[in-house]
Amino acid sequence: MVLSFKSWFANEGGKHFVLILWLGANAWLFLRTFLTYSTGQQYYYLYKMLGLGLCISRASASVLNLNCSLVLLPMCRSLLTCLRGTHTLSSRGTRRLLDKSKTFHVACGIAICIFSVVHVSAHLVNVVNFSAFYSEDLPALNLARYLGEDPRMIILTTVPGITGVLLVVILFLMFTASSYCIRLSNYEIFWYTHNLFIVFYIILMVHMVGGALKYQTNVDTHPPGCLRPNQSSPELQGEELEPGNEERRCKEEARFHPHYPQTWMWVSGPLCLYCAERFYRYIRSSDPVTIVTVIRHPSEVIEVRMLKRDFKAHPGQYIVLNCPGVSSFENHPFTLTTCPTEEKETFGVHMRVVGDWTERFTELLLPKTGVELEILPMVQQRRYPKLYVDGPFGSSSQEVFNYEVSLCVAGGIGVTPFACVLHALLDGWKQFRLRRLYFVWVCRELQSFYWFSELLCALHHKLWQENRPDYLNLKLFVSQTEDLQSMSEEKYRPLSSRLSIGRPRWKLLFDEISNANRQKHVGVFCCGPKGISRTLHKLCNSGRYTGVTFEFNKESFS
Amino acid sequence: MGKIEWAMWANEQALAAGLILLTGGIVGVGGMFRGWEFAAYSIAAGVFVCLLEYPRGKKNKGTSVERTGQYCFTVCVKAFGPLTRNYYVRAFIHAAIAVPAGFMLATVLGCVCLGIASLIYLGAAISGEKWEPILPRTETRKAVGESIKQPPQNPPPRPPAEMRRKRAEDLEGAAYDNPIKVSTNDE
Repeated sequence: MVLSFKSWFANEGGKHFVLILWLGANAWLFLRTFLTYSTGQQYYYLYKMLGLGLCISRASASVLNLNCSLVLLPMCRSLLTCLRGTHTLSSRGTRRLLDKSKTFHVACGIAICIFSVVHVSAHLVNVVNFSAFYSEDLPALNLARYLGEDPRMIILTTVPGITGVLLVVILFLMFTASSYCIRLSNYEIFWYTHNLFIVFYIILMVHMVGGALKYQTNVDTHPPGCLRPNQSSPELQGEELEPGNEERRCKEEARFHPHYPQTWMWVSGPLCLYCAERFYRYIRSSDPVTIVTVIRHPSEVIEVRMLKRDFKAHPGQYIVLNCPGVSSFENHPFTLTTCPTEEKETFGVHMRVVGDWTERFTELLLPKTGVELEILPMVQQRRYPKLYVDGPFGSSSQEVFNYEVSLCVAGGIGVTPFACVLHALLDGWKQFRLRRLYFVWVCRELQSFYWFSELLCALHHKLWQENRPDYLNLKLFVSQTEDLQSMSEEKYRPLSSRLSIGRPRWKLLFDEISNANRQKHVGVFCCGPKGISRTLHKLCNSGRYTGVTFEFNKESFS
Repeated sequence: MGKIEWAMWANEQALAAGLILLTGGIVGVGGMFRGWEFAAYSIAAGVFVCLLEYPRGKKNKGTSVERTGQYCFTVCVKAFGPLTRNYYVRAFIHAAIAVPAGFMLATVLGCVCLGIASLIYLGAAISGEKWEPILPRTETRKAVGESIKQPPQNPPPRPPAEMRRKRAEDLEGAAYDNPIKVSTNDE
């Protein structure tokens, strides 16, 4: 039990700590604002008129302020890439938290939706109360123009009302387009509705203009609940006024002043940061790349090698491609499979042709003549379409070099981040912390292994020559077991001898790794189908392996 | 790039709008506000919209993801045939349902959201989309006899047994060389 807690804590502890911090901040803000409005002297008359609706609406508004400002921060991808790369966050655990930035964004978004519902309901009750309890004594406090004014008219004729309705409509559109199903099938709907956020924020900042809720400014001279000059206290009817009662007489009428809009203070910082980041990314990607080679690989994969001025990347990072010849507004992420080095400045991606964008892109790049390999010298370049590259952006696979022992599990085309890692080991060897790499690659068809067969064999030979045979432990699996398959070429002997038919047995693999690497932290990196990553995550948390901690890192795009 | 399927988004919106109508209706009836009859109506309307919109339709291309437990709802919705298949009808139904909910404050948001969903359904109908139920595919197992040719009913023609037996006097004429020494039947 203790062992599994240690593993669970190593894997999940950081995330849950941030979650508890965030929930605590929300709860504290909610309670503090609630108590201010329910017990504060300056809100005494307003609270008498509106009741609990006032406190709940204002408390949820402050929570909304916090979440609307926090929701933008995880989406500043270039900033997060900088934080991850320059090791300003020196602890590996803190860098692992950056992997969960999208989850945090979703959590803040859901909180915004829930508290918007609370806020709107409470304000609807407030509007009803403004209309029903119209105060003749304190005319400055009223929002309604007369007693019993139709609440719907109040909403439609005040700035907070109209802006509130618009905000709810925009939030409804954004929220309904963000479900997993829609992101998977019609990503454009999600992208375009989510870009309405700028309208949302502008309207949010003017939402409080008009001052519907007012606080009392002269609490010292007019203590709330004090007796007016022509009023007498109910329990002292007809009696002499005691000297102590003098303080209970109002020295002057209550004066009210509307609130200063506060939302812009919360929101403008992150909004400016995010807009600056989008602008920076736009400028950075405005320089088109030069396509150097296009290679067609088996199993519907093409490799594109490109050149760009001042492009630097680390293994494991990904770029976003935009090809106006295919679609002006679509951006698609692809992991880099080769990074630019000092000797070779080209960088490349492997992309699987599935879906209309990749099909059209392939048509533009390669003719349909079925030519296997097409490499032309740059002078005689064919007319490749214009291509823009945004990035590189960081991902969890960058941490492979920061563990002493790493297990990389790839499913099909998910091998791309690890291919970049292997290229870095082959070409740009530095003094890495990594001492041993277990590489497991599971594919449906044997042909898929030919994407990187040269790379794997070259690296294997290099490590054998340098007398480090145990540095790279390669295991290849073919999951479709129908035909008898093998790689028959002699030069791929290291691969065919490490090829197994059938799915891998993860428990045995983990047993083998933990027996050979005692008292170590093993980084587990998975880029593949959900089934595999769920199994691996459970095994990493299970804590059956004494002395060895498996830390799970997952890479995904959707 | 590629055809956008608007109906899926309209479906999510209508489901959310149904839930908003239901919540607003419960609040309206619970507080017995003015116009609580409209709130009672919107509870019923919200339930109806949720039941109608819960089963997701099939996507034109790609795999469709079902909502949990939607099979029985699919069967019910499919039973109405063209009324539920056609998105023009759905757009009109949602617009008609939304209108009475606009008369009460608690349910006015549900009315607005359902109205937006109805507009998107209209857009989907104009693009020619239809609601197809997601039904489990019945795997048709090919009968073995169809995939390979009919196996022969008779053995191949062979000479009678005496002819097949090796004759001791005619060992060279034997059809094949036996690795083990052959002895005649007399021994």
